[in-house]
Amino acid sequence: MEEKILEFCRLLRKSGINISFSQVADALKAAAEVGFLQEDFYCALCCTLVKERADKSLFDKLFRLFFLSLQGGTNNPANKENGEESEDAPGDGAELVQSAEGKGMGKGGGASPALLLVKAVREGNYPLLRFLAELALKSLGKITREQLAEMDKTVERAKVAIGWYEGVNRLERIKEMEKISDATYTRWLEHLAYLENRIKELLEEFFVKNFGLEALEEIALSANLKEKEFHRLNQLEIEEIRKRITKLARKLASKYARRYRRAKRGEIDLRRTVRQAMLSGGTPIRLKYRKKVISKPELVLLCDVSGSVAVFSEFMLQLVYTIQNRFRAVRSFLFVDVIDEVTDYFLKQDLEEALHEAFSKAYFSYSGFSDFGKVFTIFANKYLPGVSPKSTVIILGDARNNWRPDEREFLQKIAERVRKVLWFNPQPQSGWDTEDSIMRIYAPYCRQVFECRNLKQLEDVIEAIL
Amino acid sequence: MFSSIEELQQKLAECEYITDRNVATVVYLALKLQKPLLVEGPAGVGKTELAKVLAKATKSRLIRLQCYEGLDEAKALYEWNYQKQLLRLHIDQMQNKSWEEAKQDIFTPEFLLTRPLLEALLAEVPVVLLIDEVDKSDEEFESFLLEILSDYQVTIPELGTIKALHIPIVILTSNSFREFGDALKRRCIHLYLDYPTFERELDIIYLKVPGIKQALAQQLVRFVQTIRKQKLKKAPSIAETIDWAQALLTLGISSIDEEIIQSTISILLKYQSDIEKISPKVSSLIPEH
Repeated sequence: MEEKILEFCRLLRKSGINISFSQVADALKAAAEVGFLQEDFYCALCCTLVKERADKSLFDKLFRLFFLSLQGGTNNPANKENGEESEDAPGDGAELVQSAEGKGMGKGGGASPALLLVKAVREGNYPLLRFLAELALKSLGKITREQLAEMDKTVERAKVAIGWYEGVNRLERIKEMEKISDATYTRWLEHLAYLENRIKELLEEFFVKNFGLEALEEIALSANLKEKEFHRLNQLEIEEIRKRITKLARKLASKYARRYRRAKRGEIDLRRTVRQAMLSGGTPIRLKYRKKVISKPELVLLCDVSGSVAVFSEFMLQLVYTIQNRFRAVRSFLFVDVIDEVTDYFLKQDLEEALHEAFSKAYFSYSGFSDFGKVFTIFANKYLPGVSPKSTVIILGDARNNWRPDEREFLQKIAERVRKVLWFNPQPQSGWDTEDSIMRIYAPYCRQVFECRNLKQLEDVIEAIL
Repeated sequence: MFSSIEELQQKLAECEYITDRNVATVVYLALKLQKPLLVEGPAGVGKTELAKVLAKATKSRLIRLQCYEGLDEAKALYEWNYQKQLLRLHIDQMQNKSWEEAKQDIFTPEFLLTRPLLEALLAEVPVVLLIDEVDKSDEEFESFLLEILSDYQVTIPELGTIKALHIPIVILTSNSFREFGDALKRRCIHLYLDYPTFERELDIIYLKVPGIKQALAQQLVRFVQTIRKQKLKKAPSIAETIDWAQALLTLGISSIDEEIIQSTISILLKYQSDIEKISPKVSSLIPEH
């Protein structure tokens, strides 16, 4: 078993969870202390290996897959949290279908999956929800190893197969017609989330059972949020990254304070030392130090919010506004093919609200397709006079111009007016200058161009520019 | 101390602290591995209470160190009793003692003012040391804690290293106001205390508000659990559920409706902005049976 625990720790590290050697030692001791009874064993590993709340769900998942799927267990302690889950036998599904048919739900009689879904969600019928998840999995037919790489797509297909969207639509109508209360509707949404999650779980289990440790490692790697590309994130992961960005911002802020304190007495100020020495007849008794002046840059953010880049821009805005006190002034702009300033929205305290308002109220899109050329033209003409030569301009975008004129001279104008221009590109570098990407044309006007497509790179880049 | 997880859970329950098995397991492990226990979670879920109850259940003394910004070694660990040292020097002077002798005399345990941490290490019997709200302290203090937490010892320059006579049970609590360094987290067993489940909270209400009717208890706990899911500045804690239950019982109410909730909501929600957020929605948040 010890070997298994070690292997498990290795797997956790692959998924991006930090585990030190002493933690592994603790885990071994703890496991020996409580034995291998499933629930206690799970607790023992969890409380010694997981030190961040954010890592817990990932840990649960890998624990389940590694110790249960791989070793062929059936019970699922990580899943037990769901208090509402009734313990009665789930039945083999057939009778559930029958009971649904028996009641003759819907006008067409017979229980289509969508109707079953509505029934299960309304009743909070967990056995039925689980049955639906299995049905969804079965409807996928033969699953190949390659599909593991496209997990989200596969889950989506499975959802469609059981009439997910039809079901959701019906639920919404029911909510309208029967005046369902918010509390109940929230519970429905929870049941839906449970079903979706269950489908994903079943799929993962399937992969691990059929393709072994290798598949599990792939799952672990793809769960590593820090290295996942921004445009591949799903809604849940976006929430998760938001939390991590808040954390990152706090870390950056405190790190700064510490450095500043330490580095305060840096270079000797010769001029003042000599002058002081006059008082003691030329002997420099006390050394005078130059005060470190922290340079606070003025920051101007130009954020592309078209399509997949929007997520990245949002993260960046969140990060910058959380550490706002590190800058003398921050101004931000959103653009797709026109550009609008959103700085004022961030005067509010609640960042999430501010982001929401900025994104919904600003006027940044005319055609829906990025037009960097036009955006630079507008910016240079309208906003540039108000930007100081001390500013650092950061452009977030993929430089995909949709074959429109690049108008590079306006970017040049901007670059000449401000201290420096930095470009963060959330696309992989290999994709630059292919198709309609014209990074190469804009790059000469930027002091630096960074590839910035996952959390890890964002962290690195931010640390480098601060 | 406790021979099994069940026993621990049982003992805690006897002290009116209800936990689920997972929590009990983690606490049990911290005791067995003699590691500090870092308890994180939202305000009012019973983190501090856990330490108090553990002291009660093990019949040991509770030494509490409340952390705050600016807390330093002098207030947490020890100070030299300056006045007493001065007096002593005065007497020494009258007795014409030499510098060497005087110096020997004034840095002895007699002149040491112990503060909570040192007290916990020097205690003749095992104690429970509660380091409350570590997240409020500064980073320097956090680094300073590391020696105590990993080796149960401290170094006092004038006296040398002091090792704990008995390894104390150490509980650290945090509301995650600030992130800790990895070093601190690595040294601890980690426990995340969340709001209780419906059944657990119901149990707590029955225990703490004796005489409450089942129907009312269920109704009010379900309501509290529902508003915890709303986005609030501060979600109601267990203590607030208890207060509310107590208030409703005192008012002789047997079933909650919108009017009653509106008039008592300030017991549950402590921020005006939260009240303003919830008030208009109350009718849709009342659970149906």
